[in-house]
Amino acid sequence: MKSTASLFILVLFFASSCVDTPVASPDTPEEVQPMPLTAVSDTPTSAPEDAPMLELLKPSKGYFVGKFQASKTNDEDYDYHSPTFNKINLSIDSIFGDSIIGHSVVAGNDRPFVGVLDSKTGKYTATEPGDDRYDGVFYFRFIGKNQIRGSWVANNKKLTVYERTYQLERKTFAYDKALDLPQNIVTVELYIAKKLRKEIFKEKVYTQEELDNGAGSAEQWEGEFLTEDVLVANPSTTLLTKEMLQNMYKGDLEVLRNSIYARHGYSFANRSMRYIFDNVDWYIPVHAEVKQDLTELEKKNIALIKRYEGHSERYYDVFGR
Amino acid sequence: MKSKTTLFFILFWWSIYGFFSYLLLEITLQYYPIDFDVAFLRIKQEEVQLAYYRVAFYTHVISSIFCLLAGFTQFSSYLRVRYPQIHRWIGWIYIVVIIGFAAPSGLVMGYHANGGFWSQLAFCLLALLWFGTTYIAWKALGKKNYLQHQKYMIRSFSLTLSAITLRLWKYIIVYFWHPRPMDVYQIVAWLGWVLNLLIAEYLIYKYLKK
Repeated sequence: MKSTASLFILVLFFASSCVDTPVASPDTPEEVQPMPLTAVSDTPTSAPEDAPMLELLKPSKGYFVGKFQASKTNDEDYDYHSPTFNKINLSIDSIFGDSIIGHSVVAGNDRPFVGVLDSKTGKYTATEPGDDRYDGVFYFRFIGKNQIRGSWVANNKKLTVYERTYQLERKTFAYDKALDLPQNIVTVELYIAKKLRKEIFKEKVYTQEELDNGAGSAEQWEGEFLTEDVLVANPSTTLLTKEMLQNMYKGDLEVLRNSIYARHGYSFANRSMRYIFDNVDWYIPVHAEVKQDLTELEKKNIALIKRYEGHSERYYDVFGR
Repeated sequence: MKSKTTLFFILFWWSIYGFFSYLLLEITLQYYPIDFDVAFLRIKQEEVQLAYYRVAFYTHVISSIFCLLAGFTQFSSYLRVRYPQIHRWIGWIYIVVIIGFAAPSGLVMGYHANGGFWSQLAFCLLALLWFGTTYIAWKALGKKNYLQHQKYMIRSFSLTLSAITLRLWKYIIVYFWHPRPMDVYQIVAWLGWVLNLLIAEYLIYKYLKK
């Protein structure tokens, strides 16, 4: 454990020390990348044919966001009881020649990586430190300036999901308090019974008899769903009142509260919150912690929502209070 | 000499009633040591700012639990005849607690009840009827009108039992239909005691007709 971490620091140090020599103007180091890229190529004879490809490979800094799709799992029923992707933010932070330094934010996990370009294939191999249970290696290439495509392989092949694929788009992130939850969020389920999910995923065809008996209808769905209550107000711009919250379900309250965190780019460790917000277009996971970014209004609303959430959690379906 | 069925019925009542009384005791103990930011009070923060509400709330919580003692003893004619002291003492506690503390404080809390006008009305009406029936039953003793005492104590105790039935209805309704929290509250605010009172009227009609 310790040794992998120190190896990673060594690599970091190595990568950053590399940069000292080639960079001409230290204030704009990121604009230097095309030069070393060609210089490093050890097959100068093929350089002319490579020219368009090198243009293709040209990396640039920024957030690349999209579905981190499970492709290999150790659980054959995985599809049926879990969402098959998490929204990932692959952030390219620095580029030094054909090395890159960045970090990925996904499922509440913010992990650094160091990547090296294989100039023959145009593919980056980016390694996470290795001292986290979920660390692994990213393999990807740039498609044009605004897309990254590739795969990720876990160090630990015994993880439920040990390989993932992704096609990410360049996105910029800025906190915008005015962003609203989409109307269609009410169709997202918080939880569906495993059996039903299996049927949905297998696109089960019902017989007429089963349909007549109500199979596949919403009433038959054993699960927990959001309601339109969750759209009551934007808690980042409106001061919530007792009257707005007191008749709301716990699930709606939870999503309403977490919408505040989502606007700040909070990466959810909580699976059901991920399932909901990963499907919201404007949502980008940027931080594993956003407490320090919350506005006074948001803090007030969070505290009030938590009162009703806690009350519901503790007393809604029990005798007493 | 008691018949076996009567004895069975008494034991059955005692165990069920004892169980729910214990649950209510647990609910009561949540508010010790005195803290204005626990349990029910977590969502009553506006009311907690009012000194008279705080007094009413704690009066209600502390006193009401003692009314429940009556359920164990007061309906036993055996105890009333053989040990009239027990009947008198527990009856005295019951009357003092309700008339002096639990019903007036209940009225104040009912005025501030969650769920809007209709649940406020339900809880205020409950408090007034609780006070009224208990008062009439008490006054009937002075006139030695024991039939009236019995009738009004049955009514009074059916309202006392709403502490249990209200919470039980809530549990049942949520279990089967999971409505929104305040919708449940508005329903049980009425269901919790009206049904009890109707059953009480039926029992009085059936067993205490002259």
